[in-house]
This record gives sequence, C-alpha cells and structure tokens, in this order.
Amino acid sequence: MNEQRHDAENRSGVETGLRDPFREELEGEIRRAIEAELREELSQELRERVIARLRAELAEEIQTRIARVKAELEAELLTRAAAAPEAAPRTFLRFSWNFRAQHWILFTSCLTLIITGLPMKFHEARLSQLFFDLVGGVQVSTVIHRIGAVGLIFVGAYHLFYLVTFREGRKNFLALLPCPQDVLDFFQMLRYFLGRSEERPRFGRFSYVEKFDYWAVYWGMVVMIGSGLMLWFLETSLQHLPKFAADIAREAHSDEGLLATLAIIFWHFYNVHLNPEHFPMNRAFLTGMISEEEMRHHHPLEYEALMAARPVAREAPDPPDGRSAKGSS
Amino acid sequence: MRRNRVLGGMADSRPLGPALGPWLVAGLALVFLFSGSAHALTKCLICHGKPTLSRKLPSGRVVSLFVDEKQMKASVHGERACTDCHADITAIPHKGEIKRVSCVRCHFKGNPVGAPQKDIYVEYSKSVHGVAAAAGNTKAPVCQDCHGTHDIRSPKDSASQMNKAHIPETCGRCHLPVYGDYRESAHWKAFTGGKKDSAVCTDCHGEHTIRPHANPDSPTYITHIPATCSRCHASVAVVGKYGIRTEQVSTYDRSFHGIAIKFGGKAVANCASCHGIHDIRPSSDPKSAVHADNIPKTCGKCHEGANANYAKGKIHIDPTKKEAGLVYWVSLFFKWVTISTMVGLTAHIGLDLFRRLRRRGSAHTP
Repeated sequence: MNEQRHDAENRSGVETGLRDPFREELEGEIRRAIEAELREELSQELRERVIARLRAELAEEIQTRIARVKAELEAELLTRAAAAPEAAPRTFLRFSWNFRAQHWILFTSCLTLIITGLPMKFHEARLSQLFFDLVGGVQVSTVIHRIGAVGLIFVGAYHLFYLVTFREGRKNFLALLPCPQDVLDFFQMLRYFLGRSEERPRFGRFSYVEKFDYWAVYWGMVVMIGSGLMLWFLETSLQHLPKFAADIAREAHSDEGLLATLAIIFWHFYNVHLNPEHFPMNRAFLTGMISEEEMRHHHPLEYEALMAARPVAREAPDPPDGRSAKGSS
Repeated sequence: MRRNRVLGGMADSRPLGPALGPWLVAGLALVFLFSGSAHALTKCLICHGKPTLSRKLPSGRVVSLFVDEKQMKASVHGERACTDCHADITAIPHKGEIKRVSCVRCHFKGNPVGAPQKDIYVEYSKSVHGVAAAAGNTKAPVCQDCHGTHDIRSPKDSASQMNKAHIPETCGRCHLPVYGDYRESAHWKAFTGGKKDSAVCTDCHGEHTIRPHANPDSPTYITHIPATCSRCHASVAVVGKYGIRTEQVSTYDRSFHGIAIKFGGKAVANCASCHGIHDIRPSSDPKSAVHADNIPKTCGKCHEGANANYAKGKIHIDPTKKEAGLVYWVSLFFKWVTISTMVGLTAHIGLDLFRRLRRRGSAHTP
C-alpha cells in the first residue's frame, strides 16, 4: 500500500513536468520523509524475519563447514594410520598431544637419570668405569644427572597442574583411580593366564596394569625427588637435619632408583613394547593412536562406551569434549 | 745416637778437600802402596782408628774422621776394604780432592762383586730426593744419608737406621716438623705399642720411589690416598688382627667421596682430608680431626656452614650391617620391596608369555 502511493506521487510529479527548484526540493523532502517512514515500518516488520533467516542460513553454513572439516580430518587420520588404504582400519586417539608430551619428557628424564645413576650405584663394575671415561668424569656425569632431575621435577609439577586444569586431565585421573573392579580384573586375568577361563578381563580406559604403572610413578617421584633434592642441596638440608637423614636419603635414592629401573625395564617395557603382540615397539607413545582391534581387545568397555555415545553425538551438533579418547570413524 | 754422629760427620765431610795436614802424617815413616786387600783396613785405622781424628773444614766446622772398627766390621760391608769404596785414595798421605763415595760402583744389576742384584738407584734418580740432588741441591739426601756410611746394616737388623723402628727418626733428621706430628699419631703410638705392622714414613711414601705428593705417580697423590691407606686398612691380615675394622675402606669406596675420587673427582675428601696426614689420631682423642667435637670444623673445610648435625650419625656406614642403624632398616625395606615387587611382576610377565605362546596360532581377540 505505501509503496503504491509513493509511486503514484512520484509519477504525477514527473508527468506534470513542473521543474522549478522549489517544487523539486519539496518533492524531494516529501519523498525522503515518506521513505524514512516506510523504512521504519519495513524494519519493524522485517527485521525479525531477516535475522531469523540469516541465523538459519549461518547455522546451516557452520554445520556444513564442521561436517566438511570433520570429514577432511577423518580422511587424513585414516590415511595416516592405515598402512594399506583399502583395508583402512579405524583408529582411535588414545593419548593426546599434551599426554604424550608429558610422557616424552618423563621418559627422557628417567633414561638420563638411569644412565647416569646406575654407574654411581654399581661403581665397582667395569662398565661404570667405561661410562665415566666416556662422558668425561664423574663431575660431568653428575651435572647430566641434575639436568635429568630438573626434567623429572618439571614434568611432575606440570602433571599435577594438568590434572587440575585440563578437563582431559581430570577425566584421565578419574579413570586411573583404583577401584574394586581392578582386583576382580586381576583375578580374572590370573584365571585366564592359567587357562581356567577363556575370557580376558574386560578393561575400561585403563587396565589394572596401567594403573599400577601410573601409581608406581607417584611413589617413585616422591622418593626420588625428595631424597634427590636433599642430596643435591646437602649443605642446606644438613642445616636442619642430622647426617643420618642424608644417609637414609642416599640409601633410599639408590635403592628406589634400582627398583624403578627394574620395573621400567622389565614390567613397563614388556607390557607395552616387548610382548609378542607389539614387539619390538608399540607406536602409540609416538602417534597417540591405537587401532580399533586393539581398542576392542584391550579396552572393550571404553570402546563400547564410545560406540554407544556416537549416534547421540551426531544429533547434538557440538560435542567438542576434551576427551583424549575421542572416537573417530 | 752415636751412629748418627758418625754418619753426620761423614756426610758433612764431603768433599774431603786436599791432602790432610802434615801434622797428621808426621809419625808415619812410610808411604804405603795400596793393594786393595782387606788388610788395608788395618793400615787405614792407624790414623782413622783414633776417635780424636778430625779435620777443620773451610767453613770452620770440625768433622770427625774417626772410623769405628767394630761398627765397620758389623756392617754389611765389614769384609770390604776401605778402598773398595774410597777408590780415589791411592796414597798416604792422601793426595788431591777426596770425593764422595759412589755406591753405584757396585750396586747395579749384574754386578760381579756380590752386591745385591738390584736396580734401585735407577728408581732413586726419579725420586724427589734424586731429582733434587741431580739439580744440585746439596741438602738433598743421597744413599749414605739414609743408609749410613761405615755402619750400613740390613734393614732387618734392628740396629740399622733403615730398620722400620728407626725410619721415622732417619727421615725426621731432615723432615723435623713432620716427624714431630708423626710422633703424636696413632700410627707411631701403635708401632711403639708393639703393633709392628703400623705405618712408618716409607709405608705410605715409598722408599727409593718417593715422589712429591703433587706427582700423580705418588702413592700420596690426592686420588691415590684411599688405595695407599687401604693396603693396610682393608686387610684383615694387617689391621684385622689388632681388632681394627677393615670396612672403613669399603664404606668409603661406596660413599660419594669414594665414588667421586675413583672416577676422577679431585675436589672430594680422601682419607687424609678428614683424618689428617702425619698426625692421624683415633676419633676418641679430643685432638683428633674426626672427634665428634671437631667434625663441624673438619667437614667445614669443604662443606660450607657445617654444624653439629654433621656429627649426628656414623660416617663410615655399611647399610647391610645392623650398626648402620636406621639406614640398615631402610636398606632392608627396599631390598624386600624390590625382591617381592620384581618377583610378582616377573611372574605376571611369565604367565602372560606362557598364555600367549599356548594361544599362538589362534585369533588374538578373546
């Protein structure tokens, strides 16, 4: 209605041919007034409709983009993880970047400490003499040992920070807490080992073996860092402690160092790398990925939980959870 | 002691200088031709057998030229003629400058005259004394200064100045302050108390091979001290029979000090850093550097701010022995934790392997 009236007026002005400036000015003024009025009315009516439509379009756009990026990422992961593209087994991200970086710092520190620490403990061995000759004397070796110690202390402190501040850290921590099921799993495992049962215990994200490894490191960190700092800053510690406390620290440092070394070399290395299934190396600590088969075999409960959560995840458009074991297919 | 007086006299008499004064030979009517026979001793003793025979050196010092026949006869060279050693004396009265006796004339390997077949003087020439003497230091000792002159006896002879009981005194003639310290030490007290294995100078420093302690070949070089002390202190056969603990060496070896020194550390304590050097005393002696009251000061030489805490707890501890106290229990705890843990973990690994091998060929999935 308004549009028509405005058009009619406009036309009549042109037809009459009156072109004196005053009239033109008047016409212009009227037109602007009408247009302003119209715009006002239009916006009142259309704004919501336009906004609603834009919103819908944008949402659609975002959805399609997310889908595209997701597809691209999946394709990339698949091609990276799969040796034979036609087989293209599905893989799962087991250890996030953050998680793996902590492990790298931890194991490089530990190896440094072990390599420089064992010759101190077994100082009578000829190999120790060879080692000290190689690195340029005991003074050099002790400096390297302290560099390793700084790495260990750093990763220990960072891990506590990670447990508190990262959602992934909190989730992993909860999954690592020991629970009664672990004891049952252990006995089921024994039955399986001895052939009394053909069924392996069904583990979640972390088996009791992995939980043992994790909590053993806490014990080791407390003993090694505590006694190590006492010996590193011996003069300061002896200001407050008797000499036999330093002797105890030294004994504990030496003995726990050996225990940790043995546990890592035999237990951890066998379970992770050297067992016939993964020999000579499990690449998960490098890539963070494990195959679907391994996932189903070693972490069936986690696998099932992930699979069960998938359709729900598709309906809800935004599942950006920080879970490190985010399933991808 | 008379022996020393004689030695001192002869040592100072070199060089003997020009022929003796005419008053000495005024009573002698004949000039003897020396044949080198043992009878020559009798001839020489006509003059040198008089205890008053002496000579005034240009420095004004009077030296005795007396040779005690009894002593000479009792020495290892008792059957020798004077001119066997004083080979440059060919006439009476003596002519020309009379030189110091050179022991190397006979004492070399392969000598035909029956002297011991040893090359010890070769070692001496590399020793701190030999090097100094070769460099022209007239105070540096030569053979005679330690072994004696006319009274040389086997070191086994208790009257020898090279006998173990007399070595500190012999060395002390030149090294007087050190001798003073040593006389107070546990080593000397043990020796005089009848423990004849106790160390005298040469047990630590060596004999003909003696080197300055800064020389890396010396047994008293900073990194060699533990090995040197352990020759006796790690030996049940030596110190064990006197009830002295031999673990002190092995416990030192496994201490940070011991490990560091073994692998090239020089800024760490060796035995002497704590126990002292020549004046080592038992820890029960309040003057001892390792007496509990002196521990802060002794440790404080290296460990800044050392206090009484350093004396709380044993120093030489063996964690496998109950005397180590708490350390023993900590060690025992870890021993059993390690054994039980590793047995458990290894069993788990073994079972896992066993099961996997039994299952070999079948599918992996359960």
